[in-house]
Amino acid sequence: MLAYARLVLICLLLFLALTENVELSNIVLGALIGILVAVILKPAPESLSIRRLPVALFNLARYTAWLAVDIIRNGIRVARIVLDPKLPIRPGILAIKSDMKTELGIALNAHAITVTPGEQVVEIGEDGTLYTHCLDVVASAAGAEAAQRTRRRLMEGIFE
Amino acid sequence: MDFTLKLILQAVALLAIVGGSLFSLIGVLGFIRLPDVYTRLHAAGKVSVFGALLLVVAAVALESLGVGKALVLIALLIIAGPAVSHALASAAYRTGVPMKRVERDDLAQARSAPLGPGLHGADSSADLPV
Repeated sequence: MLAYARLVLICLLLFLALTENVELSNIVLGALIGILVAVILKPAPESLSIRRLPVALFNLARYTAWLAVDIIRNGIRVARIVLDPKLPIRPGILAIKSDMKTELGIALNAHAITVTPGEQVVEIGEDGTLYTHCLDVVASAAGAEAAQRTRRRLMEGIFE
Repeated sequence: MDFTLKLILQAVALLAIVGGSLFSLIGVLGFIRLPDVYTRLHAAGKVSVFGALLLVVAAVALESLGVGKALVLIALLIIAGPAVSHALASAAYRTGVPMKRVERDDLAQARSAPLGPGLHGADSSADLPV
C-alpha cells in the first residue's frame, strides 16, 4: 500500500510540475493519472519508513551540495588542462572500489563519478569495482580514495 | 521592488548565459583537441549536461519557461547525460577501440588476471586491447 501511495505521490508531483497549475481540478486529474499508473505498474511492496524520510532528504541535499562543489572544482581543473597549449593529459583507467551494498547504491556511485568532469566510469565489475577512465589518472588516483570515502559516507546517510 | 527583482533575474540570466557559453566553448575546444574516443567523451558528455543546464537556468530567469518544467528538464539531463557517456565509453571499450597516450589501465589488468573479476555480458576477452 505504501509503495502504491509513494508512486501516486511522485506521479502527482511530476504532473503538477509539468502543468504548473495547482487548481483543485488539476490536482484531482494528476492523482487519477497517478493511480492509473500505479495500477498498471503494480510496484513491489517495500519496507520503507516515513519517519526516516526527513533525514534521508536532508542527507540527499547535503550530498547534492558536496557533488556540486566537486563538479565545479574538477571542471576548473579540466578546463585548465584543455586550454593549456601543451595539453598535459595523462589518460588511463583506474579501479575504484565501491563498497555500496545495493545495486541502486552502486549505480548512484557510478553516476556521481561520471557526472564529475574528468572522470567517467567505463565498466562495472561484478564485485562492484568501478573502472573509471580519468583525463589525469595520476592526479585522480591521488584523490580518489578520499573522495570515494566522502561520497560513501554521504550516500550511506541517504540509504540507511 | 518589481524593478529590483527584474534586475536580479537579469543578472542571474546573464551569468548563466556567460557561464554556459564558456563551458560549451571549452568543451568543444576539448572535443577537437583531445586524442581519442574516451577523452573526447569527457568533453562531449559534460557539455551536453552542464552547458545545456546553465542555458535552461537562463531561460527560466529571463523568458517564460516555468520553474517546474525546468526542474524536470534539469533532472532528466543530469540523469541521462552520464548514462549516455558511460554507455558509449563501455561500448567503445568492448569493441576494442584503442586508448592513446595511456598511462595505466586497471581494467585490462583485471580482465587478463586468471581469477580476476569477470565483467557482465562480456564473453570473450581475446579481442580486447591490452
